[in-house]
Amino acid sequence: MISDITVKAKIRTQTGSADSRRLRKAGMIPVTVYGDRKAPLSMVVEAKQITMILRSESGHNTIFKLQAPDQEDTNVMIKEWQLDPVTGKLVHADFFRISLTEKQRVSVPLEFAGEARGVKIDKGILEHSLREIEIECLPTEIPEHITVDISGLGLGEHIYAKDIKVAANIRVVTPPEQAVVAVLAPRVQEETIATEVAEPEVIKKGKQEE
Amino acid sequence: MAEYKIPKKVKYRKQQRGRMAGKATRGSSLAFGEFALKAMEPAWISGKQIEAARVAITRAVKRGGKLWIRVFPDKPITKKPAETRMGKGKGAPEGWVAVIKPGRILFEMEGVTEEIAREAMELAASKLSVKTKFITRTDQQGGVL
Repeated sequence: MISDITVKAKIRTQTGSADSRRLRKAGMIPVTVYGDRKAPLSMVVEAKQITMILRSESGHNTIFKLQAPDQEDTNVMIKEWQLDPVTGKLVHADFFRISLTEKQRVSVPLEFAGEARGVKIDKGILEHSLREIEIECLPTEIPEHITVDISGLGLGEHIYAKDIKVAANIRVVTPPEQAVVAVLAPRVQEETIATEVAEPEVIKKGKQEE
Repeated sequence: MAEYKIPKKVKYRKQQRGRMAGKATRGSSLAFGEFALKAMEPAWISGKQIEAARVAITRAVKRGGKLWIRVFPDKPITKKPAETRMGKGKGAPEGWVAVIKPGRILFEMEGVTEEIAREAMELAASKLSVKTKFITRTDQQGGVL
């Protein structure tokens, strides 16, 4: 999805973890820009702006303009991003230069429409094996999401990647036999609290009993 | 009485305590479900606590929904008997714990509403000796502002 967002970036003059830490404290993140047969560049962008792009409807498939001093404006997409495991804040991102005439492989989120028959009538559990599907198409034709109708899905039935209907200009890269969603029979979880513990078997020369 | 999960086979019966420095690098993102409970501090979580949390979630959800337990107690803990003088070797194995680092996903859920999941996870959190946070898939999509 092409957007009219412009992200202002600066070329990184200093590198290393200490500098990255200083940048993050100032609300910026280090990014790497690569692709389109050009040399990679280390840059700095505002973290908030990238977070907003990632949280938008088109998410990481948003194509936006990267503007940097002494550099040509480039269309880029977020290829990879890292979050802090505790705070959940963005710490790093990879931007991929996009040529609008070249086909790209991207993963697009799946949107599940309707309530599965197996869930509604048989009280089954809907299990998602895939939440994103990998497709190949021109950057201008990347859909925001792909809708999968699950209303006809009965208990014990699956929808595979090959069952997903996409536009003619889009090619699904995900293996056709890959399960996407299924309705499983409801399983009653054991409620009793387990308290006893048996000793595990000790491999090799572990001591037996004291 | 039922048994809570422990390793089937171990190489050694006793382990040294170790350190819990740093943040979780593996098992720190939602992988299966829609909602999750994330640890916010380092701790040892015993097999008993994991089992108690699992039961709390199962009871809160009543029926439907799928639960993933993302931690496994694979570290043996030893204890010396009461009123024993120091020395004379390491105590006998007493239980099993999972080593938890901040950012680790403990439980994941799917097939229930956010409200039910939040309530169930809160009940589960009260059974654990660690500060936790409820997270959803959207929280993970692009990070926190």
